Amino acid sequence: MNSSRSALTHALIAIVGLLTLAPVLMLVLGSFSQGLDAFGHFTLAKYVAAYTDPALLHVLGNTVVFVLGSTIFATVLALVLAYLNTRTDIPFKFLFGVLAIVPMMIPHLLFSVSWGLLLNPSNGLINGLLRNAFALQSAPFNIYSLPGMVFVEGMLNMPVAYLIIAPAMASFDVSLEDSSRVFCAGAWRTLMRVTLPVLRPAILAAVVLGIVRSLASYAVPRVLGTPGRVDVLATYLYEMIATGYSPDYGKAAALGMSALATSVLLIWAYRVLTAESGKFVTISSRGWRPTLIALGRMRMPLFAAVALLSLLVIVLPVAALLYTSFVPYSMVPGAQAFAQMSWRHWAEVMADATSLLALRNSLLLAVVGATLGVLLSLFIAYVIVKLRTRAAALLESLTYLSFAFPGIVIGVGFMWFFVQTPLYATLGALLIGYIATYLPYGVRPLASAFVQVHAHLEESSLVCGASPMTTLRRIIVPLLIPGIVSAWILMATMFLRELTVSVVLSRPGSEVLAVQILGFADDGLWGKLSALGIIVILISTALVLLAGVLGARFRAAHGTAA
Amino acid sequence: MEIRIQGVSKHYQSEGKAVKALDQVELNIPANHIFTLLGPSGCGKTTLLRCIVGLETPDEGEIRIGDEVVWSKARGINVPPEKRGLGMVFQTYAIWPHMSVFDNVAYPLQVRGMARRDIDAKVTAALRFVQLEGVEKRSATRLSGGQQQRVALARALVAEPKVMLFDEPLSNLDAKLREETRKELRGFLSKLKITAVYVTHDRVEALALSDSIAVMRGGRVVEMGSPQKIYFHAEHRFVADFIGRANLVPATVRGTSGGHTMVDTALGPMLCEPRELAPGSEATLCMRPEFMRVSAGTQAGAGNVVAGVVESLAFVGEVYEVEIRSAGQLLLARIAPDAQIHSGDAVSLHVEPAHCLLVAR
Repeated sequence: MNSSRSALTHALIAIVGLLTLAPVLMLVLGSFSQGLDAFGHFTLAKYVAAYTDPALLHVLGNTVVFVLGSTIFATVLALVLAYLNTRTDIPFKFLFGVLAIVPMMIPHLLFSVSWGLLLNPSNGLINGLLRNAFALQSAPFNIYSLPGMVFVEGMLNMPVAYLIIAPAMASFDVSLEDSSRVFCAGAWRTLMRVTLPVLRPAILAAVVLGIVRSLASYAVPRVLGTPGRVDVLATYLYEMIATGYSPDYGKAAALGMSALATSVLLIWAYRVLTAESGKFVTISSRGWRPTLIALGRMRMPLFAAVALLSLLVIVLPVAALLYTSFVPYSMVPGAQAFAQMSWRHWAEVMADATSLLALRNSLLLAVVGATLGVLLSLFIAYVIVKLRTRAAALLESLTYLSFAFPGIVIGVGFMWFFVQTPLYATLGALLIGYIATYLPYGVRPLASAFVQVHAHLEESSLVCGASPMTTLRRIIVPLLIPGIVSAWILMATMFLRELTVSVVLSRPGSEVLAVQILGFADDGLWGKLSALGIIVILISTALVLLAGVLGARFRAAHGTAA
Repeated sequence: MEIRIQGVSKHYQSEGKAVKALDQVELNIPANHIFTLLGPSGCGKTTLLRCIVGLETPDEGEIRIGDEVVWSKARGINVPPEKRGLGMVFQTYAIWPHMSVFDNVAYPLQVRGMARRDIDAKVTAALRFVQLEGVEKRSATRLSGGQQQRVALARALVAEPKVMLFDEPLSNLDAKLREETRKELRGFLSKLKITAVYVTHDRVEALALSDSIAVMRGGRVVEMGSPQKIYFHAEHRFVADFIGRANLVPATVRGTSGGHTMVDTALGPMLCEPRELAPGSEATLCMRPEFMRVSAGTQAGAGNVVAGVVESLAFVGEVYEVEIRSAGQLLLARIAPDAQIHSGDAVSLHVEPAHCLLVAR
C-alpha cells in the first residue's frame, strides 16, 4: 500500500512538474539563446536589449501605478463591504453575496469592453448622456487612461479580496473587540487599534493576491490601455511578440523573467501569510453571534452606496453589452436608438464561421479540460491532504506555483515547448496550457473537500476488505461529489473565457471565444462583440447556477452529511 | 484465532525527534478472548492495534494472525489491511454518510462479491444481532450515537471475521449510554466466539469487558493478566496506580512473618500479601481505599492498624471520601454516608494483610 502510494505521488510530481516547470524552463532557455528558438547559441543580448530599452522605464512606471492603484482600490472596497456585511445592521445582506459572486461570471475581457463602451471619450454611452444632459463641450470621463484602468481592474479584483477578508472578519472573535470596548475605547478607536490589526494577515493576503492578479492582468490593459497608448508590462510584452515585423520572443522572455520572479515571490509570501493567519484570526466556538453595530441614520445612505456599487459592477456592464448588441452602431440611448434596435448582430455572429468555431472550441476545451483537470486535481488533492509526506509537500508547492504565472509570460514558455511537439497550433496545446495554468483552481476546492473526509472513513473501507481503488470509487469519490462539482464548474468557467494563455497559443483553426472577442474589439465590431459576449455570459451563468442546484440537491439528499 | 506479536517496534518522526511509539512489543493474544490494551494516551495502544489491522506498518518485528504471518520485517511480508479479513470498530464509528444503514453493513460482503440474496440474509441477521432492525433504509448519519455504534459493530461482524478490533469505541458516547453500551457489547462479544482486541484508556471499561488486560506505557506492555489479577495483584506500581485509586506508601522489606511479607513504612510495620522479595529491598505498599476500614478513636488490635486524624471529608454520592493524615502520609479511605466521623477526629485504620499489595517501585 505504501509503495503504491509513493508511486502515485512520484507520478503526480512528474506530471505536474512537466506542466508547470516545462514552460518556465523553456522561458529560461529562450531568454539566453540567439535567434527565435529556445535552443540557440548562448547569449546575454536579449537581457541587455530588454532592460536597456528606453521605453521600459515609462512602462514600469505605468505598471506600478496600475498594479498598486487597483490593488489598494480593491482591498479598501472589499474591507468596507466586508465590514458592512458582517458587523453592521445594513439591510438586504444578500446583495453582498451577489456582489462577491456575480462579477466572476462576467469575463474580465467583456467587463473591460463594456466600460470602454460606457466611458470612452468619443462615443461612450454615459459620456454621451452626460454631454447631452449638461450641454458639455467634451466628454467628462476618459476610460482610456491610467485612472480608468485602475478603476476597472480594481472592481474586477474586489470580489477576490472580499472572499478573503469577509470570512476572516466573520470568524473574528468578538470578545477581543468587546474587551477593548470595556476599556472605554470608542467604536472607531477599537476598529483602528484592535479589529484591523487582528485582520492584518487576511488584508495582506488580499493585497498580495491583488498585486499578482493585476500584474498578470492582460484584458484591462489591452482593451483600455492600448487606445490611449498606456502600456503596462503585460501589453508591452505582448506587443514584443505579436506586433511589428520582427517578433522577439527572447527579449519578451528576458523581461518576463522579472514578472515571473516577482509573482513567484509574492505567491510564496501569500502562502506564508495564509498559513499564519490561522494563528491570528481566532475562530471562537459555535453558537456565537457578533454584536451588530447599529448604523442609525447612516443605514440607508450606506445601503444606497452598496446598491450603486452593485449597479456599477453587475448591471451596467451587462446592460451596456446587451444594448450595444441590439443597436446598429454606437449611439446615445434614446428614442432614435430604440427605434433602430434589431437582432442583426446576433444573426451575423450566428452565421460567422470563425465565431461558431471559437464557440465550439471553447465549449470543447471547457468540458474536456475541466474533466481532465478535475481528475488530475482529485489525485493531487488526495496526496496533498492525506499523505503529507515530503514528496507530497513538493507536489503541493509545484501545484500552487502556477498561481504565480503571468499568463502572457507563461504562454511564451508554452509556445516554445509546443513548437517542439506535434501539438503546436492545436487545441491540445491550449488544453494542456489551460490545465497547467489553472490547476490550483481545481486542487483548492478538492483539497478542502478532502479535509472534510475523516481518515477513518477510508480506513474502515480497507479493513472491510475493499481494495484502495474500490475505496476511492465507492467511498472517497462519492463523499467528494460537492467538491468535485464546484471544482469542475470553476475550471469550466475559467476555460470558457480564457484569454491570456490563448492569446499567445491560439492559431488559425484553434480560435477560442476570448480571442475571437478580442479580434472583434480590434476591428471595432462592437455589436457582434456584444452579442458573442452575452452568449459567453449566459453559458457561464448557466454553469454557476447548475453548480448551485447540484450542490443543494446533494446536501438535501444527504442531510448534514460530509 | 490467536494473535502473536513478536519484537514489534515503530518510530515516528516528530519535530525532528524520533519518538518510539512501540518498543519491542511481545504479546500473545489467546484465541476467543476479549483482550484489552489499556494505557494512558500516547502509550502506543492505538498504534499497536493499527499495526495488527494493517493501517500502519511497524519498523521491526513480526505479527501473526492464526497461522498466517501478516507482517514480517525479516521475511518482507506485508499483507494489506483489505486482505487480512478482520473486522474493526473505529472511535468515530466511520459510518459512511452517503450510504444507508443497509449499504454500510452490506459493504464488506459487496466488496467480496457475494450474491445479493446471501447479502440480504446476512445483513438482516447482523442487524438483528445488534438489535437494530427496521432502520435499514435510513441514512446512517441520521441515527443517534448509540445506534451508529451498533451499525459500526454490525458492519464489523457481518463478514464473520475471526478477529475483531475496537479502537476506543465508547469514548464518543455520554456517560450513561456508555455504561449501557458496554454491557451490551460484553453480551454481544461473549455470544460471538471471537478474538476481540479492544483499545481503551478507561480502566472501568477495561475491567468490565475483558478476559485479559495488557497495560501499556511508553510503547511497551508493562503487565498482562486477568482483570482481577491486574486490579488486586499488580506487580508494578504504575499498573496498580493506573487501574484504580490507591494509597501508595514507600516500604522496605523486613522479612517473612506467619505467611505474610513484613515491611517497614512511615506508618509503622505492616503485614502484606506474600511476595518473594529479599529483606532490605525497596518496594511500594499499595492499599485500595475501599479496603481501608475506618473506626472512631484510637484502637489497638491484631493485623495492620494505623492511627490518624481526619483531614477532610468529601461527599461523592454513595460514600464519603475521607482523607486521613497519618505519620505525614495522606491516606484515602471510603466510609458509609451515615458514619459519625467528622473533620479533626482521631481515627484508626484497619487493613487486612490480604489487601496490602507490594509492588515494584
